[in-house]
Amino acid sequence: MTVRQAGIPLAALACVLAAIPSVADDLPLKSGSTRFAVIGDMGTGDKPQYEVAAVMEESRRKTAFDFVLTLGDNIYGGSSQADMKKKFEDPYKPLLDAGVKFYASLGNHDNPNERFYKPFNMDEKRYYSFRKGNAEFFALDSNYMTPEQVAWLDKALHDSDARWKICYFHHPLYSDARFHGPDTDLRARLEPIFQAGGVRVVLSGHEHVYERVQPHNGIYYFVLGNSGELRDHDLKRSADVAKGFDTDRDFMLMEIAGDQLYFQTISRRGETVDSGVIERTQK
Amino acid sequence: MKAAAAILIAGVLAAQADPPAVNRDAAIVNEFEKRVASYLKLRQDIEAHMGRLKTTPSEEKISHHEGDLRHKMREARAGVREGDVFTPEISMEFRRLIGLAMQPANAAHIKQSLRRSEPVQLHLKVNDKYPAPVPLQTTPATLLENLPKLPSEIEYRITGRDLVLLDAKANLVVDVLRGVFS
Repeated sequence: MTVRQAGIPLAALACVLAAIPSVADDLPLKSGSTRFAVIGDMGTGDKPQYEVAAVMEESRRKTAFDFVLTLGDNIYGGSSQADMKKKFEDPYKPLLDAGVKFYASLGNHDNPNERFYKPFNMDEKRYYSFRKGNAEFFALDSNYMTPEQVAWLDKALHDSDARWKICYFHHPLYSDARFHGPDTDLRARLEPIFQAGGVRVVLSGHEHVYERVQPHNGIYYFVLGNSGELRDHDLKRSADVAKGFDTDRDFMLMEIAGDQLYFQTISRRGETVDSGVIERTQK
Repeated sequence: MKAAAAILIAGVLAAQADPPAVNRDAAIVNEFEKRVASYLKLRQDIEAHMGRLKTTPSEEKISHHEGDLRHKMREARAGVREGDVFTPEISMEFRRLIGLAMQPANAAHIKQSLRRSEPVQLHLKVNDKYPAPVPLQTTPATLLENLPKLPSEIEYRITGRDLVLLDAKANLVVDVLRGVFS
């Protein structure tokens, strides 16, 4: 296949780009829709991260998503200038050059001072929200869920008139991965607020797999912690797993068009490993 | 009449000598908050001379600010010892508050949260840097609800069995309370 990619003076990236697989472009791609990508636990600086990033760029050319949510563990092993270059700026250079904005949440491997790093668009805050079209996104710091953060979220959700409210943060409230498992203390604090605040979709990382969990109380929970890291065959067989993928890395595309939210999870090989549509319900 | 007056006076004196437990607990927490505020004032004074860190595309600037702030704080706190914030009295109060948080209704959730958030085994000392490659263990939300509120850039962190008071902006250990978690 031909990849039109120029002006990237990085030998490693060039090698990766030469082998980009064909990427599906299945989302409805409706006019005026809000399109974005989701990645988690990606900041290794290793080849698989670059390969996923290259597939993301190929996907962006077809789907024109214009922002990315990160689910934490953005940078493993320290956040020096060299780390940032190798684990963020280089792999995502084509996306950054195309004007794609990243909205980061912090994981347990992240230095909290990453909130000052401009490309992460955190506005110096460890938790924050932003609006795109008819959707509002709430980035939380699940590493340190203070009563103040819980109160802020409760108020922000109630004050929001967005038709779609999407929360994202690092530690999953539901997960069927063996290595960590869900944070039930966090779940006890957050789930009632999500329900009362009209949250429909929750995105988390931490587990190095992909899992779409069966909806709980009307909320769709996704775990996506394998955009760089991978914990091979870590998912348990469980009725709570609506769809799982734990044999390679991936990222997710989402598109919001009116009362529909479409999702498509794409592997490092460019294959769609999960897809579907979520209907908005009244709060 | 004299006997009644004597009882009344004795009661007043007893009340002065042994204040109600709630007031005593509040006073200890107040003392803790004063000590943290004193630390923060020092940090803010030093940072005022350095210039406030603002959003920047340069990670080097962020790292430099963090390192410089930590270095200056270490110099300013050269004589500080473990227990300067967590005094014996404050330590006892924290052990009581953590015990309250770990009541049976919450204990299972908290312990599970601690277990599932990559527990770390570190022996940090006052004025240490939290080492960059080591992940931060989640401080459970239920625990945070039961501990005194901190300024936004000072945090409670758990390392093994210890509770660490960490200045997140300078990445500096303010004080350590040993052996509070089993």
